[in-house]
Amino acid sequence: MSAIAASSSHDRSRSLETVDLTRSFGGVTAVSSATVSFRHGKVNGLIGPNGSGKTTLFNCVTGMIKPDSGRVTYRGNDITGNAPHRIARAGIGRSFQLCRVFPRMTVLDNLLVATRATDLKAQLGSARDRDGIDRARGWLARMGIDHLENAEARNLSWGQQKLLELAGVLMGDPETILLDEPAGGVNPALIGRIGTLVRQLNAEGKTFIIVEHNMDMVMSICDHIIVFDRGRPIAEGPPAMIRSDPRVLEAYLGV
Amino acid sequence: MRNDSEPKRWLGPIVRLAAIAIGAGLILAFPASVDNPYMLTVGIGILNYAVLATAWNFVGGFTGYISLGHGALSGLGAYATGLLITVAGLPSFVALFIATALVAVLAIPIGAAALRVRGASFVIVSIALVLILLLVFQSWASLTGGSRGFVVPRPFPELRRAEHHMVFFYLFAGLLAAALLVWWVIDRSRFGLGLKAIREDEDKSEALGIPTFAGKLVAFVVSAAFTGLAGGLYALWFGDLDPVFQFSVLTGSTMVLMALLGGVRHLFGPLLGAVVVGSGLEYFKLEYGDTPLHLVGTGLLLFGVVMFVPEGVIPALSGLFNRLFAPRETSIREVTAAALAESRRREGEADR
Repeated sequence: MSAIAASSSHDRSRSLETVDLTRSFGGVTAVSSATVSFRHGKVNGLIGPNGSGKTTLFNCVTGMIKPDSGRVTYRGNDITGNAPHRIARAGIGRSFQLCRVFPRMTVLDNLLVATRATDLKAQLGSARDRDGIDRARGWLARMGIDHLENAEARNLSWGQQKLLELAGVLMGDPETILLDEPAGGVNPALIGRIGTLVRQLNAEGKTFIIVEHNMDMVMSICDHIIVFDRGRPIAEGPPAMIRSDPRVLEAYLGV
Repeated sequence: MRNDSEPKRWLGPIVRLAAIAIGAGLILAFPASVDNPYMLTVGIGILNYAVLATAWNFVGGFTGYISLGHGALSGLGAYATGLLITVAGLPSFVALFIATALVAVLAIPIGAAALRVRGASFVIVSIALVLILLLVFQSWASLTGGSRGFVVPRPFPELRRAEHHMVFFYLFAGLLAAALLVWWVIDRSRFGLGLKAIREDEDKSEALGIPTFAGKLVAFVVSAAFTGLAGGLYALWFGDLDPVFQFSVLTGSTMVLMALLGGVRHLFGPLLGAVVVGSGLEYFKLEYGDTPLHLVGTGLLLFGVVMFVPEGVIPALSGLFNRLFAPRETSIREVTAAALAESRRREGEADR
């Protein structure tokens, strides 16, 4: 683990990093002095058994829950304990483990909501401005759900909602995207499509950090994989190396 | 809708504008068309309810935070207006606006504390606010007159009773128009879309970069300002305040009922609810006098709304209208995959 690298500051070549991050719930230490550094510009995989602390790590770095101790930095800036919307505006977008969209909003509004207004004039301006709608339609078309733009999100199928959630995240134009189980409950054809999208978006400059249990997907789309067990990383490296690491095999892959 | 047929696109706004014009015309013509001052006071009462319910809807409708404590804000507006006239010696309408500003400023710490909790906890905090203020205003009799009541001087002493009512009818109508206008502006704005996202899923909104706490607080303060203004105007009109009625959980509950009945997602939902509930309450008072029967009626109405039209009357009616007259515009569930593919293909051709 690159604990030394994570301690210097303001280095734009670095991505999301944690130093000695700890978070417990009651007596259970979900994340235990985890020092992790993800690779900027890459597709990072975060794998590990259920309950190994992956989602808690996601929630800590995105500000959804506050860590008990330790630090989180993004591109060299300390973001520990910042409000989630500030972290989002710093360029980190995320999806949720159980896909979350705004059920009673139209598909189009689900995207428009992610456009960011900074001054009062923009805040009070129409939510449905031409530029926003065009960008939203662009993302919807890319996800293949543009024909549903006026449907309420709750009426979409699970797979469509997954795509909608991703489109909503992309609408905020994050440079780093955290996906929590993008393939969960999704049919194999759609898993393939999501994988392809991730690779394409990565080629366009997006950094990805993906928690996923579908090993075929992880191994095929990730450049760099970090393996979590009992709240901390136990191994990291490229897919080929992870696949043959005895600690990983024992803790997770279960061979 | 993108695949609307051509005539419907311009028909919608025209029908809507015409309906608004007719509604406004009916309201403005009301005082001239009733022949007794009693009916006028009923009209004022309903307009007052409509302002309160619309003001409540800035928080309840947009963010989904159900406040039963809005009576506290209207009560504060009422007493602040009265006290600024009697104690500070300010002219009535100067007092009204300063009182409104005070309520808005006070709403910042109140909102900052209350909006930290969600769901049922927020409801309970909002009730606590009303009960605390009731105790304060009842006990602090040297200033507020306590249960003996508090008389607010009339702003136009030279006016006869009927004229007094007439003036206040139009003042309340103007205030309602202002509240509706601000609600409409927020409803269509980016800020408003962010608030509605909070109603849907607050954590998800945060993750998308929406400053949810600031948004909720702004909505609460705007809501408080209109509620305080309505309370102050009520004080100037009615001229007699009693803490038991001013700081009543029932005030907040009635606002909730009216907004739910009409539909919280709709500009005119609370107004429609106020007309229905306001006339209903008045009818009960007229028929059965000072019995708790109106509470039974209110309870039954709330039950009916929650059971049968949880979305409110406006969405229920427009849904019915669409089913009967415009079947193509119903929800996506009733559109088959084949129809979707077809419309998509046609659009694709049109784009080319």
